[in-house]
Amino acid sequence: MAAQNPGTELDLSWISKIQVNQPAVLRRAEQIQARRTVKKEWQAAWLLKAVTFIDLTTLSGDDTSSNIQRLCYKAKYPIREDLLKALNMHDKDITTAAVCVYPARVCDAVKALKAAGCTIPVASVATGFPAAQTHLKTRLEEIRLAVEDGAMEIDVVINRTLVLTGQWEGSDFIKTSTGKETVNATFPVAIVMLRAIRDFFWKTGNKVGFKPAGGIRSAKDSLAWLSLIKEELGDEWLKPELFRIGASTLLSDIERQIYHHVTGRYAAYHDLPMC
Amino acid sequence: MRTGVIGLILPPMFSFLEMMWRICPALAVGCTVVVLVPLGSPTPLLLAQLAGELGSFPGILNMISGPASLGPVLASQPGVQKVVFCGAVEEGRALRRTLAGMGPELGLVLGAESLLLLTETADVDSAVEGVVDAAWSDRSPGGLRLLIQESVWDETMRRLQARMGCLRGGRGLDGAVDMGARGAAAHALAQRYVCEAQSQGAQVFQAGDVPSDSPFFPPTLISDLPPASPCTQAEVPWPLVVASPFRTAKEALAMANGTPRGGSASVWSERLGQALDLGYRLQMGTVWINAHGLRDPAVPTGGCKESGSSWHGGLDGLYEYLRPSGTPAWLPYLSENLNYDIFGLAVPSTLPAGSETGPGPAPPFGLFVGGRFQAPGARSSRPIQDSHGNLHGYVAEGGAKDIRGAVEAAHQAAPGWVGQSPGTRAALLWALAAALERRESTLVSRLERQGVELKAAKAEVELSVRRLRAWGARSQTQGHSLQVAELRGPVLRLREPLGVLAIVCPDEWPLLAFVSLLAPALAYGNTVVLVPSGTCPFPALEVCQDMATLLPVGLVNVVTGDRDHLTRCLALHQDVQALWYFGSAQGSQFVEWASAGNLKPVWVNRGYRRAWDQEAEGAGSELELRAARTKSLWLPMGD
Repeated sequence: MAAQNPGTELDLSWISKIQVNQPAVLRRAEQIQARRTVKKEWQAAWLLKAVTFIDLTTLSGDDTSSNIQRLCYKAKYPIREDLLKALNMHDKDITTAAVCVYPARVCDAVKALKAAGCTIPVASVATGFPAAQTHLKTRLEEIRLAVEDGAMEIDVVINRTLVLTGQWEGSDFIKTSTGKETVNATFPVAIVMLRAIRDFFWKTGNKVGFKPAGGIRSAKDSLAWLSLIKEELGDEWLKPELFRIGASTLLSDIERQIYHHVTGRYAAYHDLPMC
Repeated sequence: MRTGVIGLILPPMFSFLEMMWRICPALAVGCTVVVLVPLGSPTPLLLAQLAGELGSFPGILNMISGPASLGPVLASQPGVQKVVFCGAVEEGRALRRTLAGMGPELGLVLGAESLLLLTETADVDSAVEGVVDAAWSDRSPGGLRLLIQESVWDETMRRLQARMGCLRGGRGLDGAVDMGARGAAAHALAQRYVCEAQSQGAQVFQAGDVPSDSPFFPPTLISDLPPASPCTQAEVPWPLVVASPFRTAKEALAMANGTPRGGSASVWSERLGQALDLGYRLQMGTVWINAHGLRDPAVPTGGCKESGSSWHGGLDGLYEYLRPSGTPAWLPYLSENLNYDIFGLAVPSTLPAGSETGPGPAPPFGLFVGGRFQAPGARSSRPIQDSHGNLHGYVAEGGAKDIRGAVEAAHQAAPGWVGQSPGTRAALLWALAAALERRESTLVSRLERQGVELKAAKAEVELSVRRLRAWGARSQTQGHSLQVAELRGPVLRLREPLGVLAIVCPDEWPLLAFVSLLAPALAYGNTVVLVPSGTCPFPALEVCQDMATLLPVGLVNVVTGDRDHLTRCLALHQDVQALWYFGSAQGSQFVEWASAGNLKPVWVNRGYRRAWDQEAEGAGSELELRAARTKSLWLPMGD
């Protein structure tokens, strides 16, 4: 995880001076998706890199220890062994960046990862996810319990009431949304957030991470996200310490693309292990 | 009515899309096209082959692949009715001079530099993306002149430099590159500019992942170029960006309008009022607000000043290839022995012939300059004779100094006149019409002395009054908004005044032609320097007496004298924005030749008389088109 953001004094003039021109940002978003295309072995390399950024997530009402276990195993072995061997990447220790679960399931996740011999962190959503309309006392208690259970990262949902009334908080990472909204991670929004991250870095020297979550399902999308980060923030941010993708089905699409690259054929659903 | 055969000359580095934008409207209205493409471009030849396979109409599209020197040869072929030249300014100038008198109309599209004006209330990150689009991508037509408000200078330079570091150059078809190369000539041009800028004390910053061998040139940012250095006046080549600071919006406008280029520009500001004000006051053909480089076939694209006055796209693009119904095909009227150096240089002296008998003539009319009658610089007058050969009166002998004074007065009156609402302009024209009516008897008697019958003279005066009123009413139309696909927000097609318009009236129809030319010029916001009919300038001078009381000072300036001499002065004047000449064939040829100086749009009659009393020729849409220039203003919207 990146060094903690020590934070700064709240200076609202930083925010009031910002201008964002929406049509121009929309045009930039279209450009990113259309212009940067990576092909062949470079595409395979970018896809494997994208895998290392994934926070493999399961946030359903019917999560139990069995699907958590399957998830953790998939986090340790995201791509089928023989495919990695064909790319000569089987010994590079490719795993996802983290596993993201509800607080009640943190114990199961920690246990499953330990059994698989995996050191990737367990991230827990907390603070009344996804609406965050609970008392401060219970929200703090949730975080404490999750950390006790072994979570190394916490996805905190900000109190939107405070936001809408102009009372701000700081963080190490900013996330586009909970992933449970109707509109989640879109490029125009991301562009504005990334520019803010860069400005903050230029002003204070502190690097804040970025995580788009929700709606990223195809491998092509993930490549567009990678090129966006690379263009707006640079290679320094292309590390799991500063960039995560919150996704669940994305991993299977990436695996299918890699399968196609290695074998030249399109995989059936049952060809690849589910997560 | 369609024009006929169009010759199209393309520059060494043209994009296929640009070529299509010029060919398609020509073909659509029924013209046939001959294109001269530079050597080494196979794609246009393939297009011509496909066109040839269309069967029923072989020969509608023809391509010649050859060196640039064939341009004048193509242009001077008999039968070519219009030539459109795209390329560098100096070559355009040379072509203008060569084609004087040859017959075809000349449309020029010159230069590729654009401008980006960044105010402190702009979204700087998005503006930086605009700079990338404008100068550092394959879609950019040329280099960029970047004006940045001082308060955001450091921030902008930092972001620009960071962004440049992310740019990648390489072979054009690789999807992961931003810019390719445009040939060794372009590389040499850019290199020369950078060296010169450095020798004049500029800072040069280059970045980006670009192969270091020719012809690849890295994205370049030049700053701290002294305003007085020659590089600031020269065109900025691709892929260079020259950045200069400004303090206030007023200064920015002065800097932006202070170059001979008048192509395209963008204004970046989140304050609506400021953005629109700058957009309207920039002297450019296309202005984008908070965007750069947007194009659409329905929107006219062109320029003013030395960017040439040929348009493509939209209504204006179609009018390029049309001419009024009934006009005959243009034939060459070249006069081989016209010496441009001495035409109109010397003023033949006009001593009164014979003795003056009869009642003493009225005191000589002065020149009407700056709102009042004044004596000419040369302190002499010329006699005007009536249809019986008797002396009609004396008018001033205007010269070069008087023309200079008249143009200055017109420029001084211009801002005020442009600022008037269309309603005020209409009211003034109607007031002038009323004054003409009151003066009817004087005007009729003047016309009668020149041999016009009483009935015809009265009809001429009446028609003149009606025309003034009609043009007054037409001054109401401002501009209209266009529908553009894929854009949220309006695009306005504005009709703006040309500036100072010089008019040399024909000898025939001394009152009607004078009014028919003056009224549209004024209705569209121009200020005028006018040379009236040579054989009978008196009706015009009578009207001046009314103009002295009704119109703002300097709006209309009337200079009498030797027509060739005055035409020479006006045609060579660098600060006259357009010239309408109705006189001899030789004069027309000279005007076309001399207009190459500042590339002013000219309208000549090639020595033919025009039927001023007919609606089509005297008050038709051609006058409306020529009296103003178009500007496209893009306003993308969204929040």
